[in-house]
Formats: sequence, structure tokens, C-alpha cells
Amino acid sequence: MGMIAGTAGALAPILGKRAGAAPGAADGPAAGTAKAPGAEPERYAERFAETYRGRHIQGTARGTRPARAAARRAGAGDAMTVAAVRDVEVRIDGRPLHVMRRADGSYLSLVNHYESFPTLLDAARAAVDELGDAQLSLSPLHRL
Amino acid sequence: MYTRKNQRDLTRTEKKRFVSALLALKRSGRYDEFVTLHGQYYVTDDEEGPRASHMTPSFFPWHRRFVLEFERALRAVDPGVSVPYWDWTKDNSPASSLWAEDFLGGTGRAGDGKVMTGAFAHANGNWNIRARVGDGSFLTRNLGRPSDPVSLPTRQEVAKALSDPLYDAAPWNSTVAKGFRNTMEGWGRGGAVTTFHHNRVHRWVGGVMLGATSPNDPVFWLHHAFMDLLWDRWRRAHPRSGYLPRRKLPGSDPQHGRVFSLHEPMPPWNVTPAQLLDHSRVYRYA
Repeated sequence: MGMIAGTAGALAPILGKRAGAAPGAADGPAAGTAKAPGAEPERYAERFAETYRGRHIQGTARGTRPARAAARRAGAGDAMTVAAVRDVEVRIDGRPLHVMRRADGSYLSLVNHYESFPTLLDAARAAVDELGDAQLSLSPLHRL
Repeated sequence: MYTRKNQRDLTRTEKKRFVSALLALKRSGRYDEFVTLHGQYYVTDDEEGPRASHMTPSFFPWHRRFVLEFERALRAVDPGVSVPYWDWTKDNSPASSLWAEDFLGGTGRAGDGKVMTGAFAHANGNWNIRARVGDGSFLTRNLGRPSDPVSLPTRQEVAKALSDPLYDAAPWNSTVAKGFRNTMEGWGRGGAVTTFHHNRVHRWVGGVMLGATSPNDPVFWLHHAFMDLLWDRWRRAHPRSGYLPRRKLPGSDPQHGRVFSLHEPMPPWNVTPAQLLDHSRVYRYA
């Protein structure tokens, strides 16, 4: 996995139209029928690597959101389904941090299940804030 | 029929018996089974599968059954014990007797958040944490999170949530903008960092209470007993309302097969929300 030195940068959103613009972009969604502008699934990616409060944090997220998801996220709370992120990884000092996503596209981590964050970077930094001096467990709770 | 009391009303003997029963469950390995179960069932609304415990209408009945199962295990150790409740709108400071040495012990120390007082302090050797997030096996807390303070929900905030006659609404997840269930569960929307009510209490306690394995801190049970009592209060306040969705969602609904309507059995117990609405023959709140 390529490491990016220096400041973190969210590379989102990368629109489906520009498939392949991002190296290693997630597989495109099944070809749908584009109706109107904004009716296409939207791709997004986020990648960062930085030192935060003395800890090395790195992460990547790639996936697709259904059309107009972004607008709905800010909207009136109607039904929305977000395609599962196929590729999310966060590490703190090299140890994996299990991350989950909410239906609004925000993230929560195993360290903090009762709060969610708009970006993966925010979730990773919040996990560092909570961990204090501790390292992540190498044998965290295994899910069935 | 037995009673769940406000933790502030417990006698010294009741506290001692409750703590002893907790330690006995921990020794037998039974306690950690509850911790693991909670972690296993914590799935988010972004996932495709069934969602029984969080970000879902069955948040209340699922946790009612979860606390009840735990209480049964406790009462098998000592039939005189029940789960007390913590009214965090009143006992809202680290100075509360809840956090005293003779009950749950206090906040964690700086740096690693290790709890140093009470029966659950690591040094006593009877509270090692197995299913965990960090590499430490000790109980951690950060009451009120002094470095970036979190406040507990107020009586007014709870009253506002209780005044809503709607139980829950589509899309039946953490993004619902109205209804008692999601307001009380406490999810902010649009990735906002704001959380309310139930979630905020987990954040106020901090430490292991923040993770999917939050039952590692015994205060988990007292918190959820109070949530359970609030559900009762809501039902009494709105006798014409009820659990929603009443019927199984149609196949066309994005939440079909993911949420539990009134008569759909919930894992792992195969019990429906309808079967959990009335607990009056099992326990009552004082």
C-alpha cells in the first residue's frame, strides 16, 4: 500500500464519469441508465497518512454512493441506502482499527461506537484522542 | 416480581451484594459472554444484514431483553439482587455516590484512563477485561472528559424526547429526524459530531464505555436500566402510540429484512418486540 507523506488529503468525491482518475479506484457500479445530471452513482475516495499527537495514522476508503446521496445527506432525512464501502482501512501505529460506516456516510470506529465522524481522518484522530497512551489490541473482538 | 431501584436509593448492603454478584459472574466467565454478545450484535445501518440492537427500532426491546438476561444471571448468583438504574439527569457529576469506592469506583487516571478505585480497579485482580479495543486489560473511564467536556443529558432534553408521540419512522435507522427512538438513542445526522441522550452518556463515561464492548464497565447495566425505564415512561405518556413498524416491511423497502417489526423475532433470543412490551409481571421500577 502506497504511503503518502505529509498532510492528509481527502480525495473525494471522484465522480463516476472520471473512472480511473484515481489510482486503484474502486470497481464501478453496475452500469445503470443515467437519466439526469446527478443521477449517476458518485465515487469517492479518501486517503491519508500523518502523525497526529505523536501517533502515526493512515487510512484509505474507496466506494460508491448512490446518486444524489450527497444532497440527501444534507437533506430532509428521507430513505437512503449507501453502497457498502468495499475497501476501508485505518491503522494507528501500524495496528488495524476496525471502522464502520453509518447510512449517512459518516464513520465510527471500534474505539468509539457512540459517535460518528464525517471523514475517515476525523474518526482516526478521534480514536487517537480516546486511546491516550494505549495501543490498539492485536486481538480485538472478533465478529461472527 | 421484583424491583429495580434508583442506584442512589440503595443501602450499603444492597450495593455490596450487587457488586459481589457482578464479581461472581465475572469469575465464572458468564459476564464476558454478555460483553461479547453486545459487540457481535453492534452492526451499523450501512450494513446489509439484519440490525437488531442499534440504529434500529428494536434498540429498546433488544436492550430490554439483554439487560433482563443479564439480571437473570445475576439473580442466579444472588436472588436478592436486581439491576439498579442510574438517572443521569439527576446524578450528573463524578462526585455522585455511584462513583464512590463502595460501589462502581471512580474515574480513570490521566494518561491511560485506568480506574484506580473500587472493586473493579485492576489492582484487585478481579476485573480483567478480555474482549477489548486497547491493549490494556484494565477498566478505563474518563468521566465528563475534562480535556474536552461532555455534559450529561438534562431533564428538559429528556422531557422533550418523551413528548414525541411517534415511536420511530422510516428509514428506521440512525438518520431518522423524528421520533422517540432515534432521538433517545441519540444519533446526530449528516456526520455531525453531535450526539444526544443515550450515546452522550456513553461518551460522558468514556473509556471502555465508548466501544462496542461497553458492557465491560458495570455502569452499562445501570445506564440501560434507566433507558428501559424511559421507554416505560414514553409508553405511559402516549397510550395511543406504540412500537413501529407494526408490520413487516415490504420487499420493496430498502430496510426489508434489516429491521424488526412488532411481531418479528429478534436474535439471539428469538423473541419479538411485542413480547417485550410489558414487563410488569417480571420487574417494576421504584
